[in-house]
Amino acid sequence: MLRLWPLARGLQAKQVLASLARCNSSAPPEKLEVFVDDKPVLVEPGTTILQACADAGVEIPRFCYHERLSIAGNCRMCLVEVERSPKPVASCAMPVMKGMKIKTDSPLTKRAREGVMEFLLMNHPLDCPICDQGGECDLQDQSMTFGNDKSRFTDMDHTGKRAVEDKNVGPLIKTIMTRCIHCTRCIRFASEVAGVDDLGTTGRGGDMQVGTYVEKMFKSELSGNVIDLCPVGALTSKPYAFTTRPWETRKIESIDVMDALGSNIVVTMRTNEVMRILPRINEDINEEWISDATRFAYDGLKRQRLTTPFVKNDKGILEQADWESALIKVAQKIVQTPGEKIGAVAGGLVDAEALIALKDYLNRLGSEALCTEEIFPMDGAGTDLRSNYLLNTKIQGVEQADLILLVGTNPRFEAPLFNARIRKSWINNDLTVAMVGSQVDLTYDYEHLGDSASILNDIASGKHPFSKTLAAAKNPMVVVGSSALQRGDGTSIHKAVSTIAQNARVQSGCGEDWKVLNVLHRVASQVAALDLGYKAGVDAIRENPPQILFLLGADEGAITKEDIPADCFVVYQGHHGDRGAAMADVILPGAAYTEKDATYVNTEGRAQQTRTAVTPPMLAREDWKIIRALSEISGNSLPYDKLQEVRDRLYEVSPNLVQYGEAEDANYFKQAQELAQSVSGTIQEKPLTPSMQNLKDFYMTNSIGRASQTMAKCVKAVQDMD
Amino acid sequence: MLNTTRQLLTAAYQQVRRIHTAAPVCSDSLFVHRHTADNNPDTPFEFSPDNVKKAQLIVKNYPEGHEAAACIPLLDLAQRQHGWVPLSAMHAVADMLKMPKMRVYEVATFYTMFNREPVGKYFVQICTTTPCMLGGVGSDVILDCLKQELGINPGETTKDGKFTLIEVECLGACVNAPMVQINDNYYEDLTVADMKSIVNGLKRDKVPVAGPRSGQDNRFSCEPKGGLTCLDTPPRGPGFKCRTDL
Amino acid sequence: MAANSRLLAGRGSLLARIVRRSFADESGVQKATPAVGEVIERHTERDTIIVNRIEDHTPLAGVPEEHRGSRRVRIFIPAKNAMQSGTYGSNKWRMEFDARERWENPLMGWQSTGDPLSNSHVEFATKEDAIDFCAQNGWECFVEEPKKKTFKPKSYGANFSWNKRTRVTTK
Repeated sequence: MLRLWPLARGLQAKQVLASLARCNSSAPPEKLEVFVDDKPVLVEPGTTILQACADAGVEIPRFCYHERLSIAGNCRMCLVEVERSPKPVASCAMPVMKGMKIKTDSPLTKRAREGVMEFLLMNHPLDCPICDQGGECDLQDQSMTFGNDKSRFTDMDHTGKRAVEDKNVGPLIKTIMTRCIHCTRCIRFASEVAGVDDLGTTGRGGDMQVGTYVEKMFKSELSGNVIDLCPVGALTSKPYAFTTRPWETRKIESIDVMDALGSNIVVTMRTNEVMRILPRINEDINEEWISDATRFAYDGLKRQRLTTPFVKNDKGILEQADWESALIKVAQKIVQTPGEKIGAVAGGLVDAEALIALKDYLNRLGSEALCTEEIFPMDGAGTDLRSNYLLNTKIQGVEQADLILLVGTNPRFEAPLFNARIRKSWINNDLTVAMVGSQVDLTYDYEHLGDSASILNDIASGKHPFSKTLAAAKNPMVVVGSSALQRGDGTSIHKAVSTIAQNARVQSGCGEDWKVLNVLHRVASQVAALDLGYKAGVDAIRENPPQILFLLGADEGAITKEDIPADCFVVYQGHHGDRGAAMADVILPGAAYTEKDATYVNTEGRAQQTRTAVTPPMLAREDWKIIRALSEISGNSLPYDKLQEVRDRLYEVSPNLVQYGEAEDANYFKQAQELAQSVSGTIQEKPLTPSMQNLKDFYMTNSIGRASQTMAKCVKAVQDMD
Repeated sequence: MLNTTRQLLTAAYQQVRRIHTAAPVCSDSLFVHRHTADNNPDTPFEFSPDNVKKAQLIVKNYPEGHEAAACIPLLDLAQRQHGWVPLSAMHAVADMLKMPKMRVYEVATFYTMFNREPVGKYFVQICTTTPCMLGGVGSDVILDCLKQELGINPGETTKDGKFTLIEVECLGACVNAPMVQINDNYYEDLTVADMKSIVNGLKRDKVPVAGPRSGQDNRFSCEPKGGLTCLDTPPRGPGFKCRTDL
Repeated sequence: MAANSRLLAGRGSLLARIVRRSFADESGVQKATPAVGEVIERHTERDTIIVNRIEDHTPLAGVPEEHRGSRRVRIFIPAKNAMQSGTYGSNKWRMEFDARERWENPLMGWQSTGDPLSNSHVEFATKEDAIDFCAQNGWECFVEEPKKKTFKPKSYGANFSWNKRTRVTTK
């Protein structure tokens, strides 16, 4: 690159000229020009000085300001000098004005920052060596960069610094309130994003403190995010306390599987152990937040694990075995059994690679009985049209919508970040929310239309008063929870919902690009499984009892011992010794989501890949490799040995499965609607009740959560509070 | 020997950090709540029917959707009814205004005039800020007198629950220094004798007349002690000092 | 002088071995090795030297053979640390290898690995540089584009708006 410098310089000069020309002649009238350290930058009106500086590549130090929270303007760290302003201004709250000359590096600005720093440090304890924030502390870094080298706080009388009592806000967040600098980020997060107004400031002046006033748990499914938000070490993670320093750890950017949203996460690893999980910004999915299950269930990855294969002996007791004997045992059974007598059930945490490997293998053996634990109506268009089972509007779409009808779902616990997005839109865009189903606390106000499923028919036929509201909406969304479709009348509910959606779409005139029908799934594997052609629900197994049942991480008890013949040979492959493993004849230990490079498709239909953070424990192996090995041993080799080859196969089946990060649009609502008309059946009167009603139901939704002690503590804490 | 003991004691005293307070200025109240026998979420509190009506009138003062603005007046109403503001009263206000409880706690802890601990029937606040300390006989002797008469120190309540004495900062009556505020009444221009008579009156549940006491030149209000120094002539009529042709 | 030439000779034979080994593809057929000198072209019309960027560095890099064809490299911009507000670490492109097995060292309980590559991270100014680098070293790579940031206007006044729900907090 260096050798190219004359050319590069020429290019630069041209760009400068071009940009000058733009400024002089055809600058868009709505943009304002401001100068950051004499560098011109064009910004939208209403931009704050801090944002304008960020545009110009200058980062202003800040404590209280956070991009995703309201502006507080109370820490004063972002003071900058603005020409012809008598005092330094708080850049986070000040909108830019035309021709403003901002000086981010002037002596006045520097002095202002030093002053603020000195005040903050006056009452901040010097306990960095024992503070969990050490090494990733904004106060630490900013005092090094912007602070003075000396302080006037001398404490001659040894009266000590200000000290504040620690608060107990539950089993997740550790508070050391003496370290608090009163930025109020946590308070704003609680009241704006989490929608739980439990945090606040009490007292005033030197006695002011952040807390809950009465001792209570911070009861929110998003509470862990305040740990990230806290710019100092006042709020830290209880399970992570005193375990690692940030510089010792390796950070692996991965995907979460605790719900169907596929939140982007950073897995932090040291000594082959997951130390903690942090969010990773993805505007399309989780913004900057993750739910508590995502963040804290990782200790479940270290407990109840299947670390070696098990084979049931003659006495019916599972015994440890090596891979060879376990695989040979299964292969022998498979060879002896006719293909159509083999069935498989895939659970909620399975990756697309394992799903395709198992499907290819069983298809080769002549079996079509591949099911998922989660039920989805298969009549009508069923799962043939992707638009039938996706969150078509996308999570981001909530911000464009002006009306949401939730059907039989409690997004707050089924998909906490989707709910946070609805709340965000409810606050900022005056979104109207209505709900058919059990009345639950969603953290925002909504119109409760009733809990009986039959209301859907009224809305679909236009009899219900809400139909008018729906018709008047410009960008309506109808979100049906996958749990609502798991009832006996799921097909009819899906039909009614898609009719409502189709009507709303026609009446609103929103055009073909805006999708109305949305399905909100609960588990991470479901969309990939349906994309690959798995049958939703285990009816196929129940109707045609198999002689070999392959449970691929199926732990939710959709199939029990009673559903299958007594002599049925059950193979369980998965990572936790949970319900599925309890009924198995052979257990093949698989890898959890932090232990493999794997593909997961979220409820929007967006494929994303996890990255290997740690090695699977002991003899556990990646799932698709186990199935491939089994196929080879049983003499029916799958044609792929490398991850890339499996992904090529995924591409063959459905290209969207390997287009990582993208959510492909699916748009066959009309056709699906027409096909749905052929379905007969009526909606039952019984109420639509989502499976998760209260916070305590939220923590243990899969085998990882059930194995996690932290999650168990959360359940107990919530129960104790109620 | 004695000296060493004192030194040791001082050292020990300095070692004990008073948790919860700013080291330079110690506030005497606590800004977290602890459940006690007489202050917990189950403490009986309900607005009396009269006060419910009053509360509704107060809430009506504010525009629709901004009912939370009535938080301070309603807390005051609760304090007047109950004598102090227990946690349950804050909850009642929160429910009435449909505010999150925490937002009411914030207001109640911010304003020092809300008593979050039980206080006596007569809540004696003596100003000891500089003007009161220096003006008239000075607040020191008044405070001593109160301590003696009531038998308590500042921050304490008498055993019969009748009096609570606290020291406060300026109450804005500096010109009539020294002064105390007892419930809603200001007693100003105090002398020790005045203070005694006030306390004795209250002990018999006779509320003395509020205002300046006779102790200092029998003032009516806050006029200068030595008589008026300005505005001492009748007001001039219209046209005063104007040109005659106007 | 003699020692020097002997050293060079030794190095030459090692190089030859590496070249032989690495250019034998899976079927064992020897591929033609490009001469290193050929890849530098001199452009006379402009006085700059253009380096032919895609060239095979595997003979020189000394990366063990098992780590050449089989490794997958992810090219990405590291995410901003959610715990902090600074963005210093998330400006450059970085390459990261797929993780190989790690195990606990029985002596100290520390982590051991037989894989030298997953412990390295190399940073680049552009993703093209990173892609070229991978191509030069014979690593399969894929690029993860960073998500575009959307600009959200923010206003202090929204905290006090008269009729909007943005007036949710008191802070």
